[in-house]
Amino acid sequence: MSEWVHVAELKELTRRKKKQVTVEGTPVALFLIDEEVFALDDVCVHKERFLSKGTVLDGQVICPGHQWKFDPRTGRPEDQPGCQATWPVMVTEEGAVLVGTTPVSPRESSGLEDVPAVTS
Amino acid sequence: MTAEQTLVVVGAGHVAASLSRALRRRGFAGPVVLIGDEPTGPYQRPMLSKERLGGSGDSGLWLLDGEWCEANDVTLRTGSPVERVDAATASVVLTDGSSVPADLVVLATGGRPRRLPGVEGDRVHTIRTLADSDRLRERLVPGARIGVLGGGFLGTEVAAAARARGAEAVVFDRDPLILARGLGADIGAAVQALHADRGVQFRLGQPIESIEVTADGVTLTRPSGTEVVDELVVCIGIEPNVEVAVRSGLVTGNGVETDAAGRTSIPTVFAAGDVAAHDHPRYGRVRVEHVDVAQQQAAAIARTVAGKPATFADPHWFWTDQYDVNIQGLGLGGIRPTDEMVTRGDLSALDGTVFWLRDGVVVAAATVERGEDVSVARELIDLEIPVRADQLADEGVELDELLDAEEVNA
Repeated sequence: MSEWVHVAELKELTRRKKKQVTVEGTPVALFLIDEEVFALDDVCVHKERFLSKGTVLDGQVICPGHQWKFDPRTGRPEDQPGCQATWPVMVTEEGAVLVGTTPVSPRESSGLEDVPAVTS
Repeated sequence: MTAEQTLVVVGAGHVAASLSRALRRRGFAGPVVLIGDEPTGPYQRPMLSKERLGGSGDSGLWLLDGEWCEANDVTLRTGSPVERVDAATASVVLTDGSSVPADLVVLATGGRPRRLPGVEGDRVHTIRTLADSDRLRERLVPGARIGVLGGGFLGTEVAAAARARGAEAVVFDRDPLILARGLGADIGAAVQALHADRGVQFRLGQPIESIEVTADGVTLTRPSGTEVVDELVVCIGIEPNVEVAVRSGLVTGNGVETDAAGRTSIPTVFAAGDVAAHDHPRYGRVRVEHVDVAQQQAAAIARTVAGKPATFADPHWFWTDQYDVNIQGLGLGGIRPTDEMVTRGDLSALDGTVFWLRDGVVVAAATVERGEDVSVARELIDLEIPVRADQLADEGVELDELLDAEEVNA
């Protein structure tokens, strides 16, 4: 059963449009795009960089690591494998941003995450 | 048109994989045939000098899976060298004399490593194929001394992989500073310091006078003395594989010449990737060896043959990952000596970006660990948004607000 966690205030998103929060121990990136708040896994499925350090352009979230472009609604990268988990978001009349504790859609591996280096 | 057209890609690498997917996404209905001379299907070539060389396993290596190919009428023919394209009979002729129907052809024959005459043998390596990378990886062991000739992107990645596997690495280059020709002196110095921190040794600023390969090692002689290494990795660039194009009667120079849509001198034949000398709307004729360029060119060709003519006009973008540090460049091939360089952040701390400005407009950018600046730079370049050097340099200015300002003014 998903519960709601108060993670941020809407006004914290108005200037930079993005913020990293933590939900149930998982880093989650909030994005304010066209007056709507989206929540995605913050750790990129490609190379584990933070999407919240990235850029919002034309309604897409661009990861700083390798310029993968994500649809904030679905968590899917354009022309690339894998998927960011998406999380439920609610904004109260007082401007509190709440995120649900269970993702709406799950994370899918890209198959490209770093393999631990062999040093032996 | 009565029958569906067959499209053949000569070369089964990144172009073949990106093109196949893009063709199906765009609704191209005809059969697609990929003909490669390597024993495997398309794989992630950038990994050969990064994850695959420094680590292990083949997670994420393969670009196409058999199931997808079967479901999408994409046929892969490996181990099949091509002789030429015969446009008159709409076919591709293989070196074994057989031929494959081909109404449309995309040449993506890539390139091969430059070699040094007489420098060969078991201890000498180049990296282009999976087999090359796997052979070298076995030699990257603790106690081995690995020489890397050429301090460009490939050479520095190889040095990082050698260190990750516990081998010694020594990089030779005529230039006094690594990566400076590609990324500017400040980033070159910062990345060189990073490598030195991780134990890479440098022998820079002098020519190599001779290289002697013996059963016991490879001896490199420079004006200041000699160095002996166990293995030598030659990373001095590639030559485009133009032979198929030449035998097909296509116009070639430094690569296969194409227009901005990727079309060669024969209208039913396109070329993309490392082999293609494309006519870029911004930079003129240029051949670029970046995987993203190959993929974007393939995407443009797919749109064109699926019925929506498109050109490739992006500023060329690339990345390199060295240790845990991410470096990216955008539009660097178009820089002129008169462009103004503006630094944001602290490059010596491996956290900053260089912008190149011309007449108040950003034309190129390179970053260490700030890929988000490159995302914004792409918009600034594409939209030719006027900016001032002091705005770019001022960390109090949010770069994406420079884009918002334009929207307000528009």
